[in-house]
Order: sequence, then C-alpha cells, then structure tokens
Amino acid sequence: MLAQSRQWDGRGGRRRRQSALARRYGHLLFVAPGFVFFIAFMVLPSLAGFAVSLTNWTGVGTDFSFVGLDNFVEALGSWPLYRAAWHNLIMFLAILVFQHTVGLFVAVQLHAKPRFMEVYRTILFLPVIISLVSTGFIWTLMLSPNIGVINALLKDLGLGFLARAWLSDPDLALATVIGVQCWNVLGWAIIIYLAGLQAIPEELLQAAEIDGATGWVRFRRVVFPLLSPSFTALTVLTFIGQFRVFDIVYVLTGPLGSPNFETDVLATLIYRSAFGGSSIASNDVRMSYAVALAVIVFVIMAIASTFLIRVLRRREISA
Amino acid sequence: MKNHLIGALLGGCVLATAGTMAAAQDKVVLTMWHGHPEWKNAVEAILARYEEQNPNIDIQLEEIPGQSLIARLNTALAAGEAPDLFALRLGPAVAAAGEAGQIIDLTDKVDISGMTEAAQSAARYDGKIWSVPIFGSYTVGLYYHKEIFDENGVTPPANKTEFMEVCRKLQDSGVTPMIAPAQDGVIPAFLYMMMASSVLGADGFEEVRAGTRRLDDPDVVEAARFLQDIYPCFADGSLGTAYTEGKALFALEQGAMLEGGSADYAGFLQTNPNIDVGVVPFPAVDGGTPATVTGMQDTFSVNSESEHPDEAIAFIQWMIQPEAAQMVADTITLSNTVGVSPSDNPVMKEMVEASLSNDVRVFYEFPETGDVFAAIQENAASLFLGEITPEEFSAKLQAVVKPSGA
Repeated sequence: MLAQSRQWDGRGGRRRRQSALARRYGHLLFVAPGFVFFIAFMVLPSLAGFAVSLTNWTGVGTDFSFVGLDNFVEALGSWPLYRAAWHNLIMFLAILVFQHTVGLFVAVQLHAKPRFMEVYRTILFLPVIISLVSTGFIWTLMLSPNIGVINALLKDLGLGFLARAWLSDPDLALATVIGVQCWNVLGWAIIIYLAGLQAIPEELLQAAEIDGATGWVRFRRVVFPLLSPSFTALTVLTFIGQFRVFDIVYVLTGPLGSPNFETDVLATLIYRSAFGGSSIASNDVRMSYAVALAVIVFVIMAIASTFLIRVLRRREISA
Repeated sequence: MKNHLIGALLGGCVLATAGTMAAAQDKVVLTMWHGHPEWKNAVEAILARYEEQNPNIDIQLEEIPGQSLIARLNTALAAGEAPDLFALRLGPAVAAAGEAGQIIDLTDKVDISGMTEAAQSAARYDGKIWSVPIFGSYTVGLYYHKEIFDENGVTPPANKTEFMEVCRKLQDSGVTPMIAPAQDGVIPAFLYMMMASSVLGADGFEEVRAGTRRLDDPDVVEAARFLQDIYPCFADGSLGTAYTEGKALFALEQGAMLEGGSADYAGFLQTNPNIDVGVVPFPAVDGGTPATVTGMQDTFSVNSESEHPDEAIAFIQWMIQPEAAQMVADTITLSNTVGVSPSDNPVMKEMVEASLSNDVRVFYEFPETGDVFAAIQENAASLFLGEITPEEFSAKLQAVVKPSGA
C-alpha cells in the first residue's frame, strides 16, 4: 500500500495536477447526468415557456407574434389572479395550522407507542398514497347533496339540519375543499413529525425530567424546539404544495372553481386560460397568457419559498 | 425424428409470423382521437363497418374525455405527433390550425354538397373547408320525464309563465323540477342561448352578429331575467354539480326536466334502459317563440403530417354518405346528411320536430359571438346568486360581442 502511494507520488507533477483536478471537479461527473436531465426537462422548457409568454400564441397554430410584456401587464392587472392567489393563501394557512396542530398532536400520541400503533399509523397514512384524483372523485360522490353518503349519514343520525350542499354553497365550498385536503395530508404531517420525535435523544428528556420539568414544559422547552427541522420541512412543503394545488380542486369543483369561482386557485386559472373552461368553445383560450400567469406564480413562489426557508432555518439555529 | 419435428414447428412458426407481419404491413393504419367515451360502442360499430368494406384499413380509435382531449391534442399538434384524424373545437382553433398548415385543406378533396346547409356553413371558414362534422349535429331542447309529468298532472311548458307554474306544482309535490348541473357553466350557457333565441329567432341572432341588435336590448334582457328566475327550480347543489353527474341524475329520474341535446339521449339509455322521456323546444320568454339551438358535433380534420392523407380523406367522405350517416343518426345523434333521419327512435324524431319551429345556431360557432359562451360561463353563477342583475349580466355578454358590421 505504501509502495503504491510512493509510486503514485513519484509519477511527477502532471499526474498530481490531474488528481487535484479530479478532487476539485470530480463530483461534477456524478452530478452531470441529473444536471443534464434538469436542464433538458426543467430549465429549457421554462425558458421556452417564458419566450411563449412574450407572444400571442393561442395554443393552436403557429402565430407567435411578439407582444412584449403585454400578457404580464394584463395578468397583473386582472382581478381573477388575486382572487385565485387569495384562495391559495387561505388554503395554505388553514392546512398549515391543521398540520402543525392536529398532525403534531397525533404524531405525539403515536410516539408514545400505544397498542395497535402500526394499525393507526397505516390507517392515517393511507389517504396519502391514494391519488388526489381518486380522492377527489371519492369525496365528490360522498359530498353530493343528491346521492352523497355524508348528508344521508347526518340525516340518519338525526343531524339532518347539518346537511348541506357542501361543494355548491359559496360560503362552504372552499372550507370543504380544505377539509378534503386536510384528510389527505394528515398522514404526511404525522410521518414527518414522528420522524422528528424519534430523532430527539432520550437523554435530553431525562435531563429535563431530573431538572423537574413537567410534561408540558418538557414538550414546550425541549421537544418542540428540536422539532424545528420538521416544522420547516412541513411548512415549506405545504407552501409549495398549496400554491400549486390543482388536481383535487379540479376534480371537486371543476375548471371554473365553482361555485362562482369561490374555489378558483392559481392552477385552475392557468389551466382555464390555457385550455378553456369547457370542451365546447375555444374562443377564450390563450396559451401565452396562461404561461405568463405561470411565470408570475413561479417567480413569486421562488422568492417566497427562499424567504420562508431562510427565516425558518434561522429559527432552527437559534433553537 | 424429434429434431425434425422441432425444426418443422419452428419453420411453421416463422412462416406464420412472416405471414402475419406481411398482412399487417399491407394494412394502412389510421389513428383517430375523439372526445366521447360514452359513444365508444356506437363509434366502434361504425368503424368496424368501414373496415369491413375496406379490409386494407385499420382505424385505431382512442377516446379521450372532452377537456383532456384538448390539452393533449394541442400538445400533440405543437409536437407534430397528432393522430391522422382528430376534431378541434369549431371556430378559432380550426382556423388557426388551418392557417398554420397543421391540417389539410379539404376544399377540393371532400364533397360536402350532400350535407345540410348548417353543416356546410360550419365546415367552411373563409371559403375553405378545414374540417367536416362527421358525427352529425346536436340540437338542444328540454327533456322531460313523461311519467313524472303525468303523475303530477302537468304538461310540457311553452313559455316562462307556464314553466314557473310547472316548477311550483312539482316542488309542491316534492319533485325536483329541473336538473341543471352548472359546475362548468355549460348548461347555463345553453339555457341562455335558448332563452335569448326565443326572443331573437334566427334573424335576430344574425342582427346581433351584424351589430344592428344587442344582447342588452330590453327585450333580450328578459332572457337573462328568465335564467335568473328559474334558478330556484334547479336541484340542490346545482352550482357544484358536474355535467356527467347531472345527466345521470336525470336518467335516474331524480328530477323532472333537463336541458339536453340530441347526443345526450344515448347516454340516458345507457344509464337507464327503461327511461321514458319526451323532448320539446325550450319554453320561451313570455311573448317569444319556444326555441332550440343547434351546433355541430365534432368536426374532423386530417393531420397535414399524416402518412396516409388519401385514406383519411376517403374515410371522412364515407362518413358523410348515407350509410354511415344513418348509423350516426340511429346510434349517436342527428345526422348532417340531407335525407337521413333516425329510423326507429321516437325521441330523436321529437327532437327533429322540436327544432322545426325556431332553431338557432349555437352562438360560439361564430367569430362575432364566440366569446359570449365563455362570458355566460363566467357570470351565470353571479346571476343565479343575485350578485348581478339581468341588465348587468346582459351588458357583460354584449361587451364581448364583436359585430361583423363594426
């Protein structure tokens, strides 16, 4: 081994220079395949998309007349963009609170290893592995005021006064969509928090106990601060997920975000602008405008996500 | 001996495979996309008849539900991977694809002289034929369950006053008067078109296109008021009910009436083979004439990058000949071929009769009124919920009309 090293060292500067080069940039070889795919399937299409947003392309044909920033100006001045973004924001905040309260609570209960813990965990995680489209269809049927099981159940339980047109009532539709999403994402919150809880060293909790800390104080002063990475991950993932939510809204309330756009979100607005609100008329379809909307959403989300990560990471360090 | 047997078997297999491959290579494969999975059996039967008569043709059909078809087709067209035969939405989409050279100019290649005037008019754009409505046309009127009407002692309404009276009587009996799945705004758009047509008629609609008549004229505003006033007659949860769910609810007799097209009847039968419905023109605004509206079903084009354009064009030509047109009329919807009518379908015959008095073309097939459909979709829920008045609703529709005379 020693002889080999000597032989290696004794081969002169050229070989050593190669070795330094390899040491410095060798990792790029490992990154390159993924990077090439990233460039091909993310960066280039995004740049092409940005180019399309500067034209008047409808989505069909080859008329790509340059219109500059007209689409962006129009989008930023249109009320539907802000209405949809507002709905995304409400969804994000509501689901965030749900995950950091109910999700954390359930994770703590499961961490205490109750009987049948594996069963509970599996049941609670099950909605996560069901596709959002299937989830949407299942809930559409269950929530239907005509054939749905929810209202029928309420009536059977003597709670008929609570029966509602869940997805048709303008005052209830957004809350209902949020409720369905909560059902779907609870498993994620539990798994992420459970992983965080399991990573907390037992010694710290024992030390706190010796110092006389009660259960609640231990949780507040020791456990919760150490869950900061889980909090950060969940918050950022929820932010990104909720500002690009599409499939479940589309299935539950359609491309118009019914009723009366009360559940319209950024993704359904973009979809509607790109492909139309129905399969019948095509006059309102403008792909370039839709792409401009998507670019705006991308830029705002990138800035907001970066800001969110920085703030939350700082909190992690101080914790 | 054993080796000889294996050799003979292998040889036989090779020969059989080669024979099959040769046969496959001789066949011209045409790919075709359309957006009506609910017609699957009917369309496949038509294609089978064509393939039977043209053994060298194999048409591979793919059904992609409406809205998904558009997204996929637009992407495929942009990528140069669209099928040989496909249907774009009539209007700007067909025109744009034609101008871009993505579809073949069929002007001197397909003879459409045997089609109805409306179908010929729909097929032509700036004097050229870019697409042909091979799956007929749809006329939209008011379906009603005969049994429910008989049980409640009501007859099909002819005007707003009668409609509201029927609605009240049915509600008093605990019957849902009307199924109106309004989630995507399509049903409200058709309701409005029929109500406005009851005031305008075909001539008045031409005047709207020309700019000499307006949708916010006081008499036409009454159509918007009618639309607003019938909202309480709709089934619970209409604003959140999808079109497909609504059609199924009607077929299952969960409501007495449904605005529907000729192409919907096949779907009703599939859901409820015992369904017994009648169809009439939609009730008029008081003082108007009950109306139906008619639009072209999928208008098919031939991909300019097709490897078999002649075969694809021949198929389109065959589809509008009496034999195929009769199959369309009997199993899908009304035919666009002159002289072809449903042979044994009383409901479709009623639909034809309904369209005789006051039938107007759907607004969205014309460049002047193309955006009205989307404007109704966007504003109908506000009208139903009383957030805007019929006058404001009508003004919003008029604002997107681009009169040809302007």
